[in-house]
Amino acid sequence: MMVRGAVDSEDPDRLYTLTGGRSRAEARDLDLVTLIVSEADPTPGMQSEHVKILRTCRFPTAVVELSSELALPVSVVKILVSDLLDAGQVSARHPTSPRASAELPDPAFLKKVLVGLHNL
Amino acid sequence: MGAPISLSTANRANVERSPQNRALLVLLVTLIVTGGAWVWITLQTSAADRIPVAVAGGVTAALLCAAVFFATLRDQQVRAAREEVNGLQGELDRLADDTLPAAARRLREGASANTVFTEIPLPDNETHERILRTLTKEISVGHRQRAAAMAACANAAGRVQALATSMLADLRDMENRHSEEVLGDLLKLDHSTAQAGRLADSIAVLTGARSGRRWTKPIVMESILRGAMGRIRAYQRVRIHSASTAAIVGYAAEDVMHALAELMDNATKFSAPSEEVHVYVEELHTGVVVTIEDGGLGMKPQALERAKTAVSTTESLDLTKLSGTRLGLAVVGCLARKHDLHVFFRPSSRGGTGVVLRIPNQLVTQPRPEFPAPTAPQPAVTATGSVRTASAGGTRTPSGETMTAVLDGEQPEQPQQLRSLPKRRRGQTLANSPQPSPSPRTQHPPKPRTDAGAKFGAFRQSTSRGQNPDSPSANQDR
Repeated sequence: MMVRGAVDSEDPDRLYTLTGGRSRAEARDLDLVTLIVSEADPTPGMQSEHVKILRTCRFPTAVVELSSELALPVSVVKILVSDLLDAGQVSARHPTSPRASAELPDPAFLKKVLVGLHNL
Repeated sequence: MGAPISLSTANRANVERSPQNRALLVLLVTLIVTGGAWVWITLQTSAADRIPVAVAGGVTAALLCAAVFFATLRDQQVRAAREEVNGLQGELDRLADDTLPAAARRLREGASANTVFTEIPLPDNETHERILRTLTKEISVGHRQRAAAMAACANAAGRVQALATSMLADLRDMENRHSEEVLGDLLKLDHSTAQAGRLADSIAVLTGARSGRRWTKPIVMESILRGAMGRIRAYQRVRIHSASTAAIVGYAAEDVMHALAELMDNATKFSAPSEEVHVYVEELHTGVVVTIEDGGLGMKPQALERAKTAVSTTESLDLTKLSGTRLGLAVVGCLARKHDLHVFFRPSSRGGTGVVLRIPNQLVTQPRPEFPAPTAPQPAVTATGSVRTASAGGTRTPSGETMTAVLDGEQPEQPQQLRSLPKRRRGQTLANSPQPSPSPRTQHPPKPRTDAGAKFGAFRQSTSRGQNPDSPSANQDR
């Protein structure tokens, strides 16, 4: 009876059919709190999970929230999102972007600003 | 049974006696005729010649009489024997054409050998009856063995099915719990288990047992196709092109999935490993049509004929034509007959074979509205529950849902009623769904259970008094 209850809420499709057999997303720095925003509307014939992601991500949504919304493991959601990222249909916003640290202003310049502030 | 036999022996005796009688009659006639002639000739001849003529005439007449007697006797015997042979031939024909087929049919319908003996007219001839009894017993034993083997297979398949289903559920649970490192391995196990489950399903279908599981909700076409895909080895070569929003009713979903899985498996097996198999879905007014096209070598006319026979909805399954390795189309045939699916084969534009599966309208329904209209972002935890119930409550129930509800007849489970959140069961609108807060069971304290034995004692007391007023000992021991 317990098994039956668990089974009834399930869908017949297995996770490997959603991801086409992949079990991890290729080299993408998606983490649990990466915000995903959709850049396009779903088109007919799309995989239903992609459609759901695109609809949910009309407003920036974290990967972990998508995972809960779709009732799928986070790693599977990452694979699905990376597919959409490859297709350019969503974009990812990193809370702390590694690129941002590279573009930080020069320390010497900051020091000059600090001196200037002190001099005020 | 004794009467026909005694009658037949009497007949036989009659037949045996009559040639002698007839021969004696002929002998008498011959005697009279030759005797008359002999007397006349003897009287006509002169006295000197009378003695030799009389002797010669007498001997000739006697020889003639004997010859005629034996000839007639033999002739009569031959005639009687021929009649007997003809009679036996007729009985044998009746046995071969009517009695034995009737017995075999009754046995196939499940009657025991003894029942068959009482039902069918037994042949008069004792040997024929022995033949009939021996054959009937042998056939009956054969049928019983076949039925026992089928039941054992079905039982074993059912257990493997149950095992596979619970393993798949466990695996899904693990896939949700464990991290990325294990996921790949879990998916591999999942895939193997799904294939094993399909094999068990195939055996169950061929042995006439029910298919693996029943879905309690309509399953959308996409899930049907992916569920079918997930059960075959080379699922990565299958490309699905579907924009269909239709769903398959829960009670048939598993079988449709299974049939599609077998067809996809054939398509991937009989095409080069580098080729892709394309699956198209089309919604027509006659139902949903799924086309599976491969780029293999195609089918030879003979193979095509065999395949058509295997999946035809008019011819029943012939287990003798099964081979161990090619169960697929036989399974598809069984499922097609069960759900009135139509399967057609045609050459594919891609070079190989195209298989067209038509799912009739009575199995097609609309899925439950699941995805809400886009709303403002909400905390993920509350979004799912509240929005879903709101959209479900406002929308009319599709006809398919009520149908599955009636067919499955599942009762709401108690623990869910006692939970705090309202939960809509299948086929119910929100207004009708059980209100969770004060459940009727918790409001009323349970009635004190009266002792069933006491009631029975009272009943017995009253009846014993009515029947036998002056013996109070009937209930003294209570």
